[in-house]
Amino acid sequence: MPDQIPHLKAVNICKEFGQVQVLRDVCMEINSGDVISIIGPSGAGKSTLLRCINLLETPTTGVLEIGDFKITIGEGHKKASKKELATLRRNVGMVFQSFNLFPHLTVMENISLAQRRVLGRTKDEANSRTLELLDRVGLKEKADAYPGRCSGGQQQRVAIARSLSLDPMVMLFDEPTSALDPEVGAEILTVMRELANDGMTMMIVTHEMAFAREVGDRVYVMVDGVIVESGDPRVIMSEPTHERTKQFLSAVMGR
Amino acid sequence: MFGYIIQGLMWTVMITVASFLLGSIFGIAVAGARVSSSRIVRICARIWVDVIRSVPPLVWLFLVYFGLAELGIRLTSLVAAILTFSVIASAYLGEIYRGGLAAIGRGQIEAAQSLGLGRVDLFVRIVAPQVFRTVSPSMVTYGIGLMKDSALASTIGVVELTFRANQVAQNTGEGLSAFLIVGLIYLAFSVPLGIWARHSDARASQKYQVG
Repeated sequence: MPDQIPHLKAVNICKEFGQVQVLRDVCMEINSGDVISIIGPSGAGKSTLLRCINLLETPTTGVLEIGDFKITIGEGHKKASKKELATLRRNVGMVFQSFNLFPHLTVMENISLAQRRVLGRTKDEANSRTLELLDRVGLKEKADAYPGRCSGGQQQRVAIARSLSLDPMVMLFDEPTSALDPEVGAEILTVMRELANDGMTMMIVTHEMAFAREVGDRVYVMVDGVIVESGDPRVIMSEPTHERTKQFLSAVMGR
Repeated sequence: MFGYIIQGLMWTVMITVASFLLGSIFGIAVAGARVSSSRIVRICARIWVDVIRSVPPLVWLFLVYFGLAELGIRLTSLVAAILTFSVIASAYLGEIYRGGLAAIGRGQIEAAQSLGLGRVDLFVRIVAPQVFRTVSPSMVTYGIGLMKDSALASTIGVVELTFRANQVAQNTGEGLSAFLIVGLIYLAFSVPLGIWARHSDARASQKYQVG
């Protein structure tokens, strides 16, 4: 179905941790090839939202749609089955703030493992795809190194290649540069910019305002578990309408 | 005298190896229960581990061998010894595994899940190799302890090293030589194993960590 636009849609996502409401009726949509960024103060629930989208965290209620696949969570609906989880996760890649590579596997094995175990590629198929991906993130020479021998920036690039290895429909980035020096973070942003140019659909939680403004097709501002406004990043960042957005932007831009 | 005593080695090795292997496997279940998402399972596992570790191994051995016999379950002394030491080992090794599990970051587990890896792959490819790597020195240390504890099996009549040394001592009065010999045999196993554990630990950390 090459004509159909694959997209991801999250409808009325709510998440409670005990008494605390972390997400309240969050709705979000992303079209194929778009890049959206989610910004907002710490503790707003941005990361929780991303984690709910690939069900690392189960929302209290909500609906997730990705391509033809739809899953409804909440009272009266049974829990996501293993098969549903697997389908969702192979189509949604995730890059974490802390890289989360497998330290006992080489870079090559880190990237090939899921291709073989989840997609059923042969060892040769997986390894040649891995080398392509490593080439794309500029780390071909690190194929046989262990993650412990790679710098933070290199590890994050490996992590990006690892997520790409499943050819996901959407990539989620959870503050991918926050654990890195600004200079190294810039390397990662370059890789992400290239991905965006190649048409990858991306959802990015970030504090990199310049990046969100330049690369993002749309920005969502999240405060206290609620999306307070969304739209063209250039417009929102220069003329925020919501009081809380103004406060947040002046705090981060003022530095 | 040495020739007589050394014939017990087979039983010492058998009790040690069998209990260690069985304990290593049951230990996985114990560790799994200790970190279960169900609170009740966690509490039961905690109690189980504490109870096993709080009673002397000799008492467990007698309970299994003589106690069960009273209830009509007659085990041979070898089976009773292996059963007892396996269960005890499962509690200790389970706790060792749990320590190793705690060393694996939550992040790696989430990364594996986000890649769509199933529970089996997660365990076999990600968790087990790393836990095994971090805990193998502690496991070897425990194995050495287990070998020494296996001497207790002599009290229920397993004809292992200590049993034979004791026989020699009773029959000839040469207790000093008999127990020196048996002590040296234990030493000959413990020391190399201990050295190997330390070396394999150093090698593993050299391979994976930033140098």
